[in-house]
Amino acid sequence: MSKTVYPRSTSEQRSMGPSSPREGSTRTLMPRSPQALRPATGPNVWQVGLDGGKYFIIALGALTMVIPFLDMFVGALKTPAELLARPPVWIPHHPQWNVFREIWYMVPMARWYMNSFIVSTSVTVLVVITSSLAGFALAKYSFRGKEWFFRFVLAAQMFPTFLFLIPNYLIIAHWPAVGGNDWLGRGGNGLLGTYVGLVLPFAVNWWGIFMMRQFMLGLPDELMDAARMDGCSEWRIYWQIVLPLVKPALATLAIFIFLSAWNEFIWTMTVTRAAPDLQTIPVGLQLMRDTFDPTRNAALRRAALAVSTLPVMALFLSLQRYYVRGLVMTGLKG
Amino acid sequence: MWPAAVGNPISPTKRHRLDQRHWAPYAFLAPAGLFAMIFFFVPVLFSLYLTFTDWNPLSSPRWIGLKNYKYIFTLDPYFYQTLTNTFVFAFGSVLLGTAISLLLSFAVTRIKGKALWRTLYWLPMVTNVVAISYMWTYLLDAVYGLVNQGLALLGIAGPDWLSSPSTAMLSVIIVSVWAGLGGNILIFSAGLEGIDESLYEAARVDGASVWQEFRHITIPLLRPTLLFVLVTGFIGGLSNFALIMVMTGGGPMQATNVVANYMYQVAFQNLRMGRASAMAYVLFVIIMIITLVQLRVFKRGGVESY
Repeated sequence: MSKTVYPRSTSEQRSMGPSSPREGSTRTLMPRSPQALRPATGPNVWQVGLDGGKYFIIALGALTMVIPFLDMFVGALKTPAELLARPPVWIPHHPQWNVFREIWYMVPMARWYMNSFIVSTSVTVLVVITSSLAGFALAKYSFRGKEWFFRFVLAAQMFPTFLFLIPNYLIIAHWPAVGGNDWLGRGGNGLLGTYVGLVLPFAVNWWGIFMMRQFMLGLPDELMDAARMDGCSEWRIYWQIVLPLVKPALATLAIFIFLSAWNEFIWTMTVTRAAPDLQTIPVGLQLMRDTFDPTRNAALRRAALAVSTLPVMALFLSLQRYYVRGLVMTGLKG
Repeated sequence: MWPAAVGNPISPTKRHRLDQRHWAPYAFLAPAGLFAMIFFFVPVLFSLYLTFTDWNPLSSPRWIGLKNYKYIFTLDPYFYQTLTNTFVFAFGSVLLGTAISLLLSFAVTRIKGKALWRTLYWLPMVTNVVAISYMWTYLLDAVYGLVNQGLALLGIAGPDWLSSPSTAMLSVIIVSVWAGLGGNILIFSAGLEGIDESLYEAARVDGASVWQEFRHITIPLLRPTLLFVLVTGFIGGLSNFALIMVMTGGGPMQATNVVANYMYQVAFQNLRMGRASAMAYVLFVIIMIITLVQLRVFKRGGVESY
């Protein structure tokens, strides 16, 4: 892409000014060339051309971003004949709005939504609590092992998730004394096929702890000392003083965690493959293969994708400004 | 800090409250610490143990020493291919992704309505990987997909993107780049906005071309950001496999199979937990080595906080 714009703008620039001796050698910065003497008057023509080029690139990119979503949405409205037409039908003649209602009866969409909501909310609540607690301890107390624990939090973030898939699966399957297991974790399914099994491996987030610690470092110590003078317990300091002060950070963390839990796929797929009642939206979408009337398959699948993603996308996009800033501040999670 | 309790007329109850400060941090860390035990140290050590065993979950693990590693490195028909694929995928998507997002952020930084533009690039970041995969599977369909229909308008016969071994890897790389643009643009934009506008003005007064501005101002000042995106993107690319799992399942003919996905197949389809754990560990060690080298480089290059 860069090849399409930069050569063009330099050639425009060259055609503007008198031919310069450094043609071909663009390596040196700020050369004493005749161009330097060009009067800086009015709207510079090549600057306008450059802006045009920028808009062109951005618009091209934006189109590439939107087309897949449009194709999904518009494709859902097409009749089977229109979907197979060549050349393509861009705008369906008789939009099949019905599919969006139909799809709710053909797949357990409401169930998927509910499961996604239950799992994501639980994960979010747990992560916000555990991260703010641990972040508070690491930011505002001095105690033995603090440095050690903080280093661990930094290091743990670097461990890739695939490493934990197999052992976590076995830990969840052999959780003692639940799901038909005995005290040694044998005999039953453990936490497989329960919401707990979906939520528990995500209950603590190392990045979240790191982020909360960074935010809480900035809180004034005097505030907490004053509260202690008044006989306030450490828990109340956390709950009634610190938490209200870091609300924006909590919101950022909560939205980000909710988003990643909502879109989490591999773990949920692994533990709910045999438990359709627990499948979340991504897993449901993945496993709904070939369940439809084959002639209408393509449209219905697109409808399922649209119904399951577009409303939530709108929600997340509207919340964008609350979490994007937090991501920039702490570096995007691996 | 808190004044020393010594010589302070403090009532016994207050003294008790002071003591809280010694154990309170441990109490606050307890949930995270417990979690670290169960879902960090136990898994890491347990899967290391598994790499030395032959185990399908229905029987009990049998110690076989280094045989899993030996098998992977000498007998396994696909391991080296998936390892190569892993690097091709990670390298390809990080290079292409960085180049495109750098160009786009450069274009979007000093322009009207940048919030709206950035929102558009953020769309895939809030979409789940399954939906992204299927949207692109439709687009890349050999006959009915928009991509090939578009190419046909230009008189080009497009390939069968996802079913042909020669284009499948390129296809998943493109989709992964597309899906990650928003995040990269966000980071680059933050870096670009930190560059003093007067530098560009000075360069313009001296008649520097856009390319020269980009090459001699933007790139040097953006270097820490660039390094960060390149390295973290590369490391992330080595371990990502959800997109490949859904789009191609590693096919056709292992052309897009990466180690993490192969490990998943060996573990949960072939039920060879020991061998799969060994694969996971091999990839993990590779990633760790690259990460440690990266940390060294960052420290020397003055990139803070990572």
